[in-house]
Amino acid sequence: MRGTFETMGTVASIVLPADGERVVASIRRIFDDADQRFSLYRVESELSRINAGELSLMSASDELRAAYALAMDWHLRTAGAFTPNRPDGAIDLNGVVKAMCISRAGEMLFSSGLGDWSVAVGGDILCAGHSPTGEWNTGIVDPFDRTALLCSLPLGAGRRAIATSGSAERGDHIWTLERDAAAEFVQVTVIAEDICIADALATAIMSGGREMLDLATDTWAIDALAVMTDGSLLATPGVRSRVTA
Amino acid sequence: MRTRAALTSIFASVGVLIIGWQAGSAAMSTTQPSVTATSSGTSGGTTSTTTTTTATVASADGTYTGDDVNTRFGSVQVEITISSGQITDVTALQLTDADGRSRQISNRAAPILQSEVIAAQSSNVNNVSGATYTSDAYLQSLQSAIDKAGL
Repeated sequence: MRGTFETMGTVASIVLPADGERVVASIRRIFDDADQRFSLYRVESELSRINAGELSLMSASDELRAAYALAMDWHLRTAGAFTPNRPDGAIDLNGVVKAMCISRAGEMLFSSGLGDWSVAVGGDILCAGHSPTGEWNTGIVDPFDRTALLCSLPLGAGRRAIATSGSAERGDHIWTLERDAAAEFVQVTVIAEDICIADALATAIMSGGREMLDLATDTWAIDALAVMTDGSLLATPGVRSRVTA
Repeated sequence: MRTRAALTSIFASVGVLIIGWQAGSAAMSTTQPSVTATSSGTSGGTTSTTTTTTATVASADGTYTGDDVNTRFGSVQVEITISSGQITDVTALQLTDADGRSRQISNRAAPILQSEVIAAQSSNVNNVSGATYTSDAYLQSLQSAIDKAGL
């Protein structure tokens, strides 16, 4: 079965075995709770109150401080390419919160005894086990024609997560670093075992360009497919061998 | 109290021995880079090879990946290509940079032709990865079409 619901300003789509329907509501709660706390579209969210100066980061909830610490950790690990600090001084945790929730949803599914599922939220996907058709065959959207696919590849053991970042992306948690003012990529897809790693690195490469792409593929166990502004493609050997049909 | 002191001293000695043994084996592994499943007798160039008991085919052509070898700068791993019993190529899979951080340069992204990426049919996929959709953009997205079809 497939369950969908709107959350975090986008749509979540969850594929589960027929007896898994009961879990969808619990998963929805994970996302809705995080949205209440982190949304910058809700003036009453804890993060909006921090940005408005009504609440200090030091006195924020453990949950919020943990997310901020995680985002700052990525800031350091990507030499500044990933950052939760917007140029206007506001803190934006969109870059880590959605992936954290997807990761938690996965843990909840496993702890509910489910081994075959996929959780797709606004283009970021985590899956486990087998799909109803066998492999979790996953398409990557064409950034120049969003109604078409660039390619598709199977996700599986060691590479269960995929995240795509693009210049057309909603929100504004990607800011091109000054030294790379002319963006090199229009879209970056990262495939990893962990959705938090895939999501943070897709964002970091999008803003940090080729240099960050090399740093990411050298340092983490990931695969990447980057679409450059002229439409040409860069792919790691793993993507090259997985791109099927 | 005396018993406890004696026991403490014994444990301390054992601890020193274990640490010493570990240091010894670490030193061994840095001085003897090994390549698993390699040939007997055709060690070549600067890559020192050790014959392993699990090697089933000697001197078979092909590429062989060595073990990770820990150095004080990080891990180093090489791949060798054997052709007609000779090592014809040695590629570093994992090196360290000036900061001593490990690098897997073999995983770099390289240009790939659009034609190598076979056009995909959205009906064959379970999900679609793309830059974040808004709820509105979702309605026109391929993911939405897949969701509606209940695939």
